[in-house]
Amino acid sequence: MSRLDLPQSRDALIDRNRPLSFTFDGRPYTGFAGDTLASALMANGVQLVGRSFKYHRPRGIFSAGSEEPNALVTLRSGARAEPNTRATMVELFEGLEASSQNHLGGVRHDLMAVNDLAAPFLSAGFYYKTFMWPRAFWEKLYEPAIRRAAGLGKLSMEADPDSYDRGYLHPDLLVIGAGAAGLMAALTAARAGAEVVLADEDARMGGRLLAEGGLLDGAPATDWVAQVLAELAALPNVRLMPRTTVFGVYDHGIYGAVERVSDHLATPGEQVRQTLWRITAKRAIMATGATERHIPFADNDRPGVLLSGSLRAYANRWGVTPQARATDPVLIFTNNDDGHRTAQSLLARGVSLAGVVDSRSGARSLGDYTTHAGAVVTGTKGRHGLRRVQIRTADGSDSWISCGVLGVAGGWNPNVQLASHHRGRPVWDGERLTFLPGPDGPAGLIPAGAACGHGSTIAALADGRRAAQTALTQLDRTAAAPALPQAEEEPSAITALWHVPGQRRAWVDLQNDVTVKDIKLSHQENMRSVEHMKRWTTLGMATDQGKTSNVTALAVMAELTGNGIARTGTTIFRPPYTPVALSVLGGGDTGANFRPRRLTPTHHWAEANGATFVEVGQWMRAQWYAQPGETHWRQSVDREARAVRAAVGLCDVTTLGKIDVQGPDAGTFLDRIYANTISTLKPGRVRYGLMLREDGFLYDDGTCACLGDGHYVVTTTTGNAGLVFQRMEFARQCLWPELDVTLISTTDAWAQIAVAGPKSRALLERVVDGFDLSNDVFPFMACAELTVCGGLPARLFRISFSGEVAYELAVPARYGHALMERLMERGADLGVTPYGTEALAVLRIEKGHAAGAELNGQTTAAMLGLGRMVSAKKDAIGAVMSRREGLADDSRRLVGLQPVDPGQKLPAGAHLFAEGAAQALATDEGWITSACYSPHVESYIALGFLEKGDQRLGEVIRCANPLEGQDISARVVPAHFVDPEGGRLRD
Amino acid sequence: MTDLIPMGALGTPDPARASHGALTLTENTALMLISVATRPGTPAPHPLGLHLPGPGLWSQGQGAAAFWTGPGQWMIETDVPDHAERLRDAIRSAPGARLTDQSDGWVCVEVTSDAGPAPIRALLERLVNLSPDQVAPGHATRTLLHHLGCIVIRRAEDHLAVLAPRSAAGSLWHLLRETASRQVPAATA
Repeated sequence: MSRLDLPQSRDALIDRNRPLSFTFDGRPYTGFAGDTLASALMANGVQLVGRSFKYHRPRGIFSAGSEEPNALVTLRSGARAEPNTRATMVELFEGLEASSQNHLGGVRHDLMAVNDLAAPFLSAGFYYKTFMWPRAFWEKLYEPAIRRAAGLGKLSMEADPDSYDRGYLHPDLLVIGAGAAGLMAALTAARAGAEVVLADEDARMGGRLLAEGGLLDGAPATDWVAQVLAELAALPNVRLMPRTTVFGVYDHGIYGAVERVSDHLATPGEQVRQTLWRITAKRAIMATGATERHIPFADNDRPGVLLSGSLRAYANRWGVTPQARATDPVLIFTNNDDGHRTAQSLLARGVSLAGVVDSRSGARSLGDYTTHAGAVVTGTKGRHGLRRVQIRTADGSDSWISCGVLGVAGGWNPNVQLASHHRGRPVWDGERLTFLPGPDGPAGLIPAGAACGHGSTIAALADGRRAAQTALTQLDRTAAAPALPQAEEEPSAITALWHVPGQRRAWVDLQNDVTVKDIKLSHQENMRSVEHMKRWTTLGMATDQGKTSNVTALAVMAELTGNGIARTGTTIFRPPYTPVALSVLGGGDTGANFRPRRLTPTHHWAEANGATFVEVGQWMRAQWYAQPGETHWRQSVDREARAVRAAVGLCDVTTLGKIDVQGPDAGTFLDRIYANTISTLKPGRVRYGLMLREDGFLYDDGTCACLGDGHYVVTTTTGNAGLVFQRMEFARQCLWPELDVTLISTTDAWAQIAVAGPKSRALLERVVDGFDLSNDVFPFMACAELTVCGGLPARLFRISFSGEVAYELAVPARYGHALMERLMERGADLGVTPYGTEALAVLRIEKGHAAGAELNGQTTAAMLGLGRMVSAKKDAIGAVMSRREGLADDSRRLVGLQPVDPGQKLPAGAHLFAEGAAQALATDEGWITSACYSPHVESYIALGFLEKGDQRLGEVIRCANPLEGQDISARVVPAHFVDPEGGRLRD
Repeated sequence: MTDLIPMGALGTPDPARASHGALTLTENTALMLISVATRPGTPAPHPLGLHLPGPGLWSQGQGAAAFWTGPGQWMIETDVPDHAERLRDAIRSAPGARLTDQSDGWVCVEVTSDAGPAPIRALLERLVNLSPDQVAPGHATRTLLHHLGCIVIRRAEDHLAVLAPRSAAGSLWHLLRETASRQVPAATA
């Protein structure tokens, strides 16, 4: 098919001096800059572009915009291959590769086309009905088979090589759609000085003005578009965003939009592929235009059958018509005047016209062509493309007309989707036969132009101006009214015709292969709600979301129920308006940068010293430090744990939350936060504290140090640091605003290193500046502010998680790395050893200290054996609730467990049962919280909660893990595997 | 004076620095931060004459600057060590005022433009969901930046500072560089 001649003014829309080569299904073709893939395929006479979803019927291009149900192609190849791309939205670029989808073998000889013969078995709801028996076959046989046969394109399964960005805009006015109404709205607001964002999904702004042949102010409409865009582009308060789809309306006037930054290029180069914009607009104008609907008739899905307005757009904007052979004439089928406009446009471009089939009796030609008034189309012929159309004329006689293209005009549906995103219900206009945006749409969103039924050029221009003035008035701005360009009258009379009744299949939803028969069947099967009909038939689903089928389907359903369209109503529209890639929703952060990572001050030191890291919340913590010759992590961990018990170890514990609490009421405040009493803590002392949830369960534990009068440092667990701080701030601001206390998170400010082991004091003595570390002066649970390494301010806490003599030394974070190096250097002769979180866990399990696994939100202070820490002398968050029935009488207690056979491994998470008891929920007596290999005990050990565990020491119980078939005998022992008297840590 | 050598938040002894088009990113390792809080209901102190501003604002004084962080709470910035000491003393002597040293709690990246405000504005548009008013010169706001809690300070038309928790310095640096580098092709296109 060769190009049509276009008037000079329209030549700008495609650049005939810039030919572009591309391939479709491996065959080379040529198009022009300005073409879409769809228009370029048409220019090359390609009609068959894919196979349908269910029946694998040949399909062609059906529309000229984002509503396209048929022409879904896979664009590009390799990692950039993108399935389900609408050929109508793809801008042609040099070297573009596209391939058709959903066929086995070539698209012309699809082996799966056999499905069409099985159509009687594939009707509405077939998968609910056909594949019920035998049950087991669903997962293994039916579902995989259906998935292979149906579906659209395939993913490449390779990582996306492109980058994506996100951005935020805050205009006064967002104008969605740059057609007649949108341009006029933007112009009105821009001249009034408002900050305006004008977004359009098309690469070229102008909307239907680019597709119509009419004049504005006596000149081609494209001239007016160019003038307005030039003026807008020159204004500093306007941002033009072509290739940008506003896909959703969210709360508080936030609009989601995707800008296709480099989709129109072969590769993005230095640019991002797409940008996700969050546009917070004071007001928005929905000038999203309208989508034409078709009229279902028998075999209306053949390539060559397309929307009449799209046919007109292809002729006027791109200079193409979709015949396979240039000489094949075009036929129009319409129920309204708009079909005749297409006939006029085609005649003006010199296209051979076979006439107009107009369902309205008394319809007349608007030009030099034949009109079959009162006639309807009743069938089509042509294997891979349209060859003949059958019509039934007003007198009831049938005849066949030879043609290569059939344009179908069933009226226009306003694109109301965005106005319905907050569950706004469209309202039926019986006169215009359209749904209009309802009054209950999103606040601040003002529909304009064809999107609210003002579809003629004159009406759209005026309505765009009206909408902008409304928005500006609401924003307390005054706007002068720019003069409207003179436009021609456009006839728009319509008489309802929703489908042509017949025995054969007439497609309503081309993308999902849903026919009028399917809707009837769904009605017969009692799917009376429109929502049920949608699910039963799958109408309106998938990538096009029923843009060309929804209203027609409702009308067919309304006819069946006799309820009328208004009462039948619509299904709910939800974002996104058109498909959005997950990559752009992710905003571009992938891999290591998927989320923020927090590194400890000694991270780089640990990296250089062979550490393996583990994620703890957002933190990366050293898990163990492998030494040369160690081939298994257990070797490293055992060595590190032994070194702490025998000499001295170093562990970065910066990740523990540190909250600076200051003020005269700090003690009172902490008494209410902690279950135990803190206010009695003297300066220079540390106390272990428990926090409860409001419901009385354990929340968090840690130490609280008193640095001076009214000055405390609260330590939290790593994972809860943020939550505890948030909770304390809530209590300070909302529960007890009368208390004079200040909270500051200082977690990041201090590098804190645990120095643990019998030689820890000897090591620290080598770095402190003349500070007396003797047991008398600085005993267990003491703390001090001091200086180290020649004047560096530091904090020292004598606390122990390992059960050995131990300290935690904190210095300003920038010195953490150097301090670690210094301690390693000074402690070399003492056997100093860095240890990671695994050894830390081994040491604390050996000592019976609780951690996250024991404080899992289902445990109480009493279960830990710390019930008396919940002070009865004062109130604290959760204290009263901890005494409630059901919680206070929980008699499970923390115990130690050792396998009877020392070679056996105790699995964490195993449930505990009495020896010989049935292993069921009713006989469950607790569970293992933590387990590890203890190099000290030389066997696996575990901590767990056991029913009346404190009274069952010495008893042998069963540890069962039915998921993996484990059932191990273990002896109940005290939870302290080392130094049960606690003498060591006080040495 | 300690002989331990401090390390920048990005793991290098010298401040990290990078340029992308008109934008230059520099880690500000000299910055000292002192948070100040007052007893509820008491007027804002004026340590050494420094004005402590209202919500969303940043103010610059002699040798120091301050921004609002919460009701009755501010962060004071200075890069003059002696001045920091004098400020601490002044705060301690103000009735009901309390201070917490936060110098090591945050990483600060200064972003400057040698082509006026436009590159800074373009960068901000990609970084934070804040209106131009909220990031106008003299404003400081706590906000989210790629899931990272940050403080964004507009020190001048052509100068922005971003503070993030020190431990997340690598993530902050990555996202700032990535975002700044993306402005380059757009500006030259």
